Amino acid sequence: MNLIIRDLVKTYTNGVKALNQINLTLEKGMFGLLGPNGAGKSTLMRTIATLQDPDSGSITLGDIDVIAQKQEVRKVLGYLPQDFGFYPKVSGVELLNHFAILKGISDKKERKEIVDALLQQTNLFEDRKRNVSEYSGGMRQRFGIAQALLGNPKLIIVDEPTAGLDPMERNRFHNILSEIGEQVIVILSTHIVDDVRTLCNRMVVMNHGTILLEGTPSEAVASVQGRIWRKAVDKSEMAEYRHRLPVISHHVSEGRMVMHVMSDDRPEEGFEPVDATLEDVYFSTITQK
Amino acid sequence: MFREIYAFEVRSGLRRPYPYVYFAILFVLTLLLGMAAAGVFSTTRTDSLTTVNSASAVARILLGTSSSIFGLMINVLLISTMATVIQKDYQYNIHPLFFTKPISKPGYFFGRFLGGMTLAVFILSGQLIGFWLGTLFGMGKPMMGPFLAMNFIQPFLVFTLPNILFLGVLFFSLTTYTRTTMAAYIVAIVLMVLQLASDTITGNIDNKMLAALLEPTGTQALQMVTQYWSPAERNLNLIPLTDALLYNRLLWMGISMLICAISYRGFAFSQFLQPLRLFGRKKRTEDAEAPPVIASLDQLPRVRQEFSQRASWRLTWWLTRFELRKMVTSVLFIIMCLLGVGFMILVVRFMDLMYESSTYMVTYKIVESVEGSTILFMLIFIIFYAGTSLWRDRETRMHELTGVTPVNNGALFFSKLMAFTLASMLMQSVGAVTGMLIQLYNGFTDIDFFQYLVMILRNAAIGVVFVAWALSLQVYSTNKYLGFFLTLVPVIILPIVLGIFEVGSPLLDFNSTGDSMPYSDMNGYGGSFLQWPFYRLYWFSLSAFLIVLALLLYPRGKEASIRARWKLSQSVRNNRPLLLMVVFLTMALASGGFIYYQTRVLVDDTKPKDRERDMAALEKRFVKYKDMPQPRIVSVSLEVDIFPGNKTLRIAGGYMLKNNTTTRIDTLYIDYRSGKKSPYHYPVMKPSTPATVVVDDVDHGIRLYKLKQPILPGDSIKFDFEMKYIPNGLFARMSSPIVDNGTFINSSLLPTIGYNEGAELSQNRARKEYGLKPKERMPRIDDSAALMRNYISSDADWIRFEATVSTEVGQRAIAPGYLVKDWKKGDRHYFQYKMDSPILHFFSFLSADYSLRKDRWNDVAIEIWYQKGHEYNIDRMIASIKKSLDYYTKHFGPYQHRQVRILEFPRYSSFAQSFPNTIPFSEAIGFITKVEDKEDAIDVPFYITAHEVAHQWWAHQVIGGNVQGSVLMSETMSQYSALMVMQQEYGKEAMKKFLKYEMDRYLMGRTAEWRGEMPLMLVENQQYIHYNKGSVVMYALQDFLGEETLNGAIRTYLNKTKFSGPPYTNARDFVAHIRAVTPDSLQYLVTDLFERITIYENYVKALDYKRLPDSSYQVTLTVGSAKFYSDSLGKQKKADVNDYMDVAIFTKKQDGTKTKESPLIVQRIRMDKPEKTFTWNVKSKPHSAGIDPYLKLIDRTPSNNSCNFGEKPVIPDLSAGGGMPAIMLNMGKKE
Repeated sequence: MNLIIRDLVKTYTNGVKALNQINLTLEKGMFGLLGPNGAGKSTLMRTIATLQDPDSGSITLGDIDVIAQKQEVRKVLGYLPQDFGFYPKVSGVELLNHFAILKGISDKKERKEIVDALLQQTNLFEDRKRNVSEYSGGMRQRFGIAQALLGNPKLIIVDEPTAGLDPMERNRFHNILSEIGEQVIVILSTHIVDDVRTLCNRMVVMNHGTILLEGTPSEAVASVQGRIWRKAVDKSEMAEYRHRLPVISHHVSEGRMVMHVMSDDRPEEGFEPVDATLEDVYFSTITQK
Repeated sequence: MFREIYAFEVRSGLRRPYPYVYFAILFVLTLLLGMAAAGVFSTTRTDSLTTVNSASAVARILLGTSSSIFGLMINVLLISTMATVIQKDYQYNIHPLFFTKPISKPGYFFGRFLGGMTLAVFILSGQLIGFWLGTLFGMGKPMMGPFLAMNFIQPFLVFTLPNILFLGVLFFSLTTYTRTTMAAYIVAIVLMVLQLASDTITGNIDNKMLAALLEPTGTQALQMVTQYWSPAERNLNLIPLTDALLYNRLLWMGISMLICAISYRGFAFSQFLQPLRLFGRKKRTEDAEAPPVIASLDQLPRVRQEFSQRASWRLTWWLTRFELRKMVTSVLFIIMCLLGVGFMILVVRFMDLMYESSTYMVTYKIVESVEGSTILFMLIFIIFYAGTSLWRDRETRMHELTGVTPVNNGALFFSKLMAFTLASMLMQSVGAVTGMLIQLYNGFTDIDFFQYLVMILRNAAIGVVFVAWALSLQVYSTNKYLGFFLTLVPVIILPIVLGIFEVGSPLLDFNSTGDSMPYSDMNGYGGSFLQWPFYRLYWFSLSAFLIVLALLLYPRGKEASIRARWKLSQSVRNNRPLLLMVVFLTMALASGGFIYYQTRVLVDDTKPKDRERDMAALEKRFVKYKDMPQPRIVSVSLEVDIFPGNKTLRIAGGYMLKNNTTTRIDTLYIDYRSGKKSPYHYPVMKPSTPATVVVDDVDHGIRLYKLKQPILPGDSIKFDFEMKYIPNGLFARMSSPIVDNGTFINSSLLPTIGYNEGAELSQNRARKEYGLKPKERMPRIDDSAALMRNYISSDADWIRFEATVSTEVGQRAIAPGYLVKDWKKGDRHYFQYKMDSPILHFFSFLSADYSLRKDRWNDVAIEIWYQKGHEYNIDRMIASIKKSLDYYTKHFGPYQHRQVRILEFPRYSSFAQSFPNTIPFSEAIGFITKVEDKEDAIDVPFYITAHEVAHQWWAHQVIGGNVQGSVLMSETMSQYSALMVMQQEYGKEAMKKFLKYEMDRYLMGRTAEWRGEMPLMLVENQQYIHYNKGSVVMYALQDFLGEETLNGAIRTYLNKTKFSGPPYTNARDFVAHIRAVTPDSLQYLVTDLFERITIYENYVKALDYKRLPDSSYQVTLTVGSAKFYSDSLGKQKKADVNDYMDVAIFTKKQDGTKTKESPLIVQRIRMDKPEKTFTWNVKSKPHSAGIDPYLKLIDRTPSNNSCNFGEKPVIPDLSAGGGMPAIMLNMGKKE
């Protein structure tokens, strides 16, 4: 079952073009969606998740027309939005049971089994009777994944799931995600490049509603390999460099400014070649015009 | 620092639209009220003596538009303006930014609070400005006084401003402390309930002061300090900041300051303040065994997802329970239930009080009180919680999670609808159980569970429509607050606007159930369920239409705008919803059409204003016949057929008409009951001599016959008619005078002879508009033409009467007269009655399935015909009849009939009325009144019975002409007669409380006068004068003259005037008889009591006692007296006092377990100086003393006539103009 997106366009009333002729074909596996804030990632995901309609274009999941047959999509969809909360004063197990019912799992015994199993799998079983609204950030994200896994989802969409998690929680979360990725289509939107590198077999980079790059992470890194140069300079010189050279990123290190420049040849004296990373790909993609 | 924070708060508030929107709402509302008061709209006109722009009128408007349901609106508005000024920093999580700045706590705290308050004052000033502008339209009109700025500003300063402060500081503190507005909303609702309750408990005279102090807005206090204000005082005075009002304002300002101080102290200027947690965390026990950890998600248990129709129903039911659980455990629901229960317990004691006597806790009464309280709370719950429920997903940011689940909008919406309906039924059930407990607590065990069940179901059918609208309107709106406002439109705003413009339409009356009858033990639901299904169908269909639309626009997913939601639903939309919408709309049109047909097409639907115009036209056309000589009815013979089954009536019969004039009569003027689309039909209506119809105005029921042969003086003709009443359509059956069980109709249904002055427009403002001359309320006391008619019937004097009344088998039909025979024919039961002595043209017909209790008094048969189960007071009624017959025959003269009958009728009216030997008596009064087993309880059934029996003398023997003062000889004399019988039965002390009520009602009644107060002798059918003042006056008179002397004069008068007329007697003749037995020294009293409006201000100035060596006490008492004569507007003029009155000293005496006040000295003295001092020696320790302590004379401040020793008397204002009653702040005083 493939997810095929054709010519998707969405313009908001304030004139922002959130989606501009998006074409994608997704197969089973983990698919990374990279892009800065406001790139149109969330709009794309919400559109696939039946929460929004595009102005034009089509989305099909297998033989389901996502835009016309929303109810059908929802039966096979697991979704973890970027920003979500829970009813106050409802325990984890109660709320997961509630979601299970909403997903059409009507047999009481089956429901209890899957709810307990998912709570166990997401390491929440111990805390299942605590109110969800009192969960810590990591627990909430894990609970979010648990509810997304209810039923037998064929398509799972997770929108920036690891933002704000501590490293340990993040690892735990990655483990769960990668396992899901083996079974179904998983779309992972993020602006943390590392997540994509470790988890995804395919990826796109989006900005301003347009897809700028598509491929596997290794292909992407290969495409810039040998063209990334680094130099540490004084902060005060930075502006001049940025003006002169195609600086793709810079960061502070030990009081000096370290910049990466993309160039087929060594831009000038003092630059040293570095091993390209996915981060370089990402920065080079979104900074090029 | 303070200035910047304050200015920032105000500036940022004024930059947003909401203050202007709130201001505009209040402004428009009061503008409309002001314009309506100024007579801008083309609506019916009524006369009034009070102006609409006086300070007290403005105060009433300001308070009225801020209380009850409006109060809730104002409170919501205050909460959103003032309560959140600090809490919002927490809500938006920017408090750390503020608290880490070098600002001072007072600057931040008070800056924010006063900023919010400034905005609130601006918003509330909309009320004042709106009303002021509205009334300006009426400048120069008679209902307007001079426009004084102070009249508007002062009430705003005295009421609005302190109330904003109090409510604002309360809401602000609660919200700041708990970090949520929930507590403030709940307190707002509690306050509303307190206010409603304070309205109810003032039914008891002794609670007035307490209510005045404790009611926070000052409404009750204003009511109390102005309660006895005459129209003149209302128009001229400013709001007096004295007594109850002053204390009330000081008390609540003080409380405001206190709350402010406490919350300032308690406010910690730190970001770590934890929100208040009411319940500690529960300990959780781990029970279940954890399932094994699996290696791969592949191994997760397999589950089946079911999406069949059946699964969808189960899902909906599951969601319903989920939602219901959330609802019934919500604070709002619990508070609403508790308030409902509390409110019921509080007010049930004060319902239907008559002279402080309550009724038995019969089920219908309790059910009504449950409905009265819980429907309001149900409504509030639905309006508030609909928003909460519908926007909960979005507010908790769960909407994207639930939005992508494969559940359809129908399940989400209907589960909420069902949960709300069940919750409201639960709320009703809580009320029902409370009601049953109240019944049991009061020892009433005959509980009718069926009525409770009907109530719950009936209210569920009302609630479900509210829920559907509230939820749908929330769906249509883009946020919760807009949703609240939209919901208030049909519930509050539409009825007000329609009311102002006198647009009454059954189809616009939101969630109407049609006309209904109150439940009656006699007549059950009285056909209330005739209209109900159609109205329900209409509102259900409209609701269903809204629901389908709501399902299409359900806010699911990310889109907020209506257009986007509509587009979003397009993908799942097929023709079905549209088809359903057409179907429901068709159903609404069909049921609405049927309702319209039944209520507007089949029956006369003339608007009030058009009716007024029509009355004016009618008068202009027919008034020329006013003085045309007409024959008089001298005998009436009728066949009355009552058909309870199909609610029809047939009356056939005839009048014998006699020419008592000295001229020939050739034109007969008949006024019969008719009108546009009249249900009354007349197959026969003709004089016995040949005649032609010259005018027949069926729309107004006027027919003129030209008689071929004139009636010569002294000659008679017969006039025959047959009248049928057939209800026009199904709905009209409910308004039929014929009911299933308990029909009560009277002679006013029959045709009358001659021009009917009673049909003329009575309001002079309206008459002026149509170019008609002003009309006197009643003809002058000496109007010799008017004295040729009695005030009960215009076309007959003393008549012979016989009637055959039939009804269905199983019921008994009763008419005045004596039963000659009765027979059955088919399913009809006939009763033939004949009266053996002349009576007034005033009779009744009743039919019901009665039980009978018989008794005798000498030769007089006593019969009580009553509804089985209403045996409570029958013994008291019989005793009262016997005692009355004793007293009246002894003191006044013989009883003209051989029978006294009391007949119960359903509680659609609550009065008793005396017809010849026949007294219909409402089931609502007397029959279910509970006479408390207390010493000073007033025996209401005994009193009412005595009053009605007295009418057999006063009205049915002596009847006055149709002039001023004639009710003195019927109503006042019946009051006096009943008082004397009561006094004989219960003793002098028992009269005190009764007279206190009568005085209070008189003083209150005169404040609401619309045409002009009259002295008792010239009373123009003003109840507060002929009943309430009449009681006080006659009681004083018998006290001063002596009961025997007075009764002697009355007997002489009765013997001279009974069964006489025309010409009829008048009150002047009556007073002359009293004067004849009055000594010269008391002639002034007769003048003051009957011919003037006399009001005293008697008071205690000083009192003290000292103990003498012989263990007696020497008492010094200084009392004062002032007397005023009032004109008809209530303007007072001081008069010299040289009058007799009582002074007395009381002691406290142990009487069994109770202490009682008993007199040590009562002395009648002459107050020949404004103030006098008395010294006495008494044996017991004095407790209180006073002047006219028994309140024999009308006194504008009854409470300062007596004073306890050791307390400081309050000296009243003795000027004539400022009639401000001074009220002693003496709450602990015992009666």
